[in-house]
Amino acid sequence: MSDRAPGSPDGPTLLLVEDDEGTRREVARNLAAHGYRVVEAATAAQALVAWERDRPDLLLVDLGLPDRDGISVVRRVRREGTTPILVVSARGDEQVKVGALEAGADDYVTKPFGSAELHARIRAVLRRAGGQAADPVGVIHNGTVSLDPLSHQVHVGDHSLALTPREFRILEVLLREPGRLVTRGRILRAVWGEAYQDQDHYIHVYVSQVRRKIAALDPDGLLRDLILAEPGVGYRVRAA
Amino acid sequence: MDPVRLRSTLRAAVIVGGLLLATTLLIAFLEGPMGVDNAAMTYLLAVIGSAALLGWTAAAVTAVGAFLIYDLLFIEPRFTLTVDDSREWLTLLLLLVVGMVVAWLTGALRERADTATAREREAHALYQVSRVLATRTDTRSALPELESILARETGSGRAWITVAPGAGKDKRAKDAVPVDGRIPFSQGALRRRADDGRPEWVRLHQSAMLRRADADTVAWRVPIEVSRRTIGSVWVERPRTDGEPDVAATQLLSAAADQMGQAIEQDRLLVEARDAEIVRQGDALKSALLDSVSHDLRTPLASIRAAAGTLLDPDMQLSVEDRIASATAIDREAENLARLVANLLDLSRIEGGALATDQEIYELDDLLERSLERLRHRLAGRPVTVSVPTDLPPARVDAVLFDQVLTNLLENAAKYAPPDAPIAVSAAMAGPMVRVSVEDGGPGVPRAALPHLFDKFYRVQQRGDGSRPGTGIGLAVVRGLTEAMGGSVSARRSDLGGLAVDIDLPVAPRLESEPMAMADLARV
Repeated sequence: MSDRAPGSPDGPTLLLVEDDEGTRREVARNLAAHGYRVVEAATAAQALVAWERDRPDLLLVDLGLPDRDGISVVRRVRREGTTPILVVSARGDEQVKVGALEAGADDYVTKPFGSAELHARIRAVLRRAGGQAADPVGVIHNGTVSLDPLSHQVHVGDHSLALTPREFRILEVLLREPGRLVTRGRILRAVWGEAYQDQDHYIHVYVSQVRRKIAALDPDGLLRDLILAEPGVGYRVRAA
Repeated sequence: MDPVRLRSTLRAAVIVGGLLLATTLLIAFLEGPMGVDNAAMTYLLAVIGSAALLGWTAAAVTAVGAFLIYDLLFIEPRFTLTVDDSREWLTLLLLLVVGMVVAWLTGALRERADTATAREREAHALYQVSRVLATRTDTRSALPELESILARETGSGRAWITVAPGAGKDKRAKDAVPVDGRIPFSQGALRRRADDGRPEWVRLHQSAMLRRADADTVAWRVPIEVSRRTIGSVWVERPRTDGEPDVAATQLLSAAADQMGQAIEQDRLLVEARDAEIVRQGDALKSALLDSVSHDLRTPLASIRAAAGTLLDPDMQLSVEDRIASATAIDREAENLARLVANLLDLSRIEGGALATDQEIYELDDLLERSLERLRHRLAGRPVTVSVPTDLPPARVDAVLFDQVLTNLLENAAKYAPPDAPIAVSAAMAGPMVRVSVEDGGPGVPRAALPHLFDKFYRVQQRGDGSRPGTGIGLAVVRGLTEAMGGSVSARRSDLGGLAVDIDLPVAPRLESEPMAMADLARV
């Protein structure tokens, strides 16, 4: 059962995959009222059919589906396309969230969520789908921070930021994907390589050091929310 | 006569004969070349010898033998039993009588010594059995050790113990097939005599299928009984030629079986008592849970229904502000419910042992800042201070659980302290741990309540000041989560006047500083 909800025909199309009918109807109504075209699906099978047929601009997938694991939907969609995927999961399932993100999901929201939070996430994921992090010469900008991967220079405003090699790599990995939730595993692979060393446990300490060094050059607190932690999952750099 | 007895009788005969022969030769030497008049009493040496070596029966036989040999060989006329000289009669008679007395005395002495040794050995063996049973955690796990003690002390090839699976329940022991698949082809069993209760061995007739002519061992079975029900058996396996276990071994086996029966019965009673206690505690928990949760569940539900009713009522002329107020109330109360459910789920995960932590190394000031940021709207307007020394080493925690711990503590402080009371969060080293403290300037709790604060469903008795009662869940979750992370939690009176909760967490070594050489990275 998948039917088109009323909505502006011009808005982005969302595929909402959720097995609980009450929740699905309510969320669909809310999204439609915000100008999205909403296609609903109650099972993984319906979701894949609807995805083939309607080619939505974004998938909103609940990970607890009756017929199949929601992650299998993520994998299938990711194998065939780059459509952004937002997964919905219960609190306390951090491992499941990490699994979905590593399988190719772009972000997650935790149930129960408020509609403001959901809209913010959807907007961020959609914006990112078209966004470009680096300028033509390859320098990455985010607010007053600029990072030049070639010269290994980081500037906060006019000040040069002194980072160790690992701190630099971590910041680079995060800044390259503004707004995207980067899992701990992805940071580890990018910075330490496949062969993790002892110090991989210190990834959070490295991130703390980066934040501290940036904060020291940011007396007005403009960059306080530059790097946000998602406990148990990973880190997110605010959208540029 | 069975071969075992025959063999030991032959052995005794050889010894007695040897002793008599040796003594006879000695007497012949004494009375011949040495010219001793009457050396008959030398035979007493042989009597004493056989008494010491073989016991009193053999000594008596030796005495009689000595009497006859002396008569035949040394008294005129030789080679007849006739005695000419009446004085020689006296010698012979004395030899017989003294020989018998010596035989009896020496034999009795030897038997007593033997009995004492056997008793001591049996007592020692039984002591070992008792010690194993006394230090056991449960009887079944002690069986292998008992088996080796019994095999050693009864001189058996091997010993094994079988206990019916539901021992103590009304089940008969199904232990006819012993361990490692070897079926003893011939069996003997220990029975209690009906009249005086003394144990005796009974040979069991095996079915023709099981009996095998070449079986060279016999399994002896001692039933383990609890109030006249057989719940298992002690088995010893001995070579067929060794015959049945001797008295000492039998007593040891019988006593060991009795002790094991008692131990198994104790186990059963213990398990029953524990099961009953678990059921009782479960019931108490359920009622405490219902009692404490029902209020916190009903309150937000009532608010939600009231607000939804307002929004649904077609007769009410609602301004936009009214609608927003109702929707906000629904949102806020739903959030309260979600938090309560989250805590309940945490509690059940803690109770069920299903809590897996994902501990990594974090700078605590970052974690504290994150949690406070997330809780900002709930702590709105409260003076919250955070102090963390800059040189505090990192801690090894699960960020999600730590956030939950801190959230519960801060909400607890916000719930019980008046809106303008200060809240202080601090971190410092405390011995080998790093300590996070959350303190408030509220009314605090009575000193007597401090040790119980983290007990499940424990609620401090408040004097009717209309404050919202707690569920007794939040702090129990704090303790459960902290302990899951290898930490500990304690409560004290704060210098701010209210409650202070200290969370001690495992510390991680400081990160070695990395060289700043950016040139190393020129590969990117």
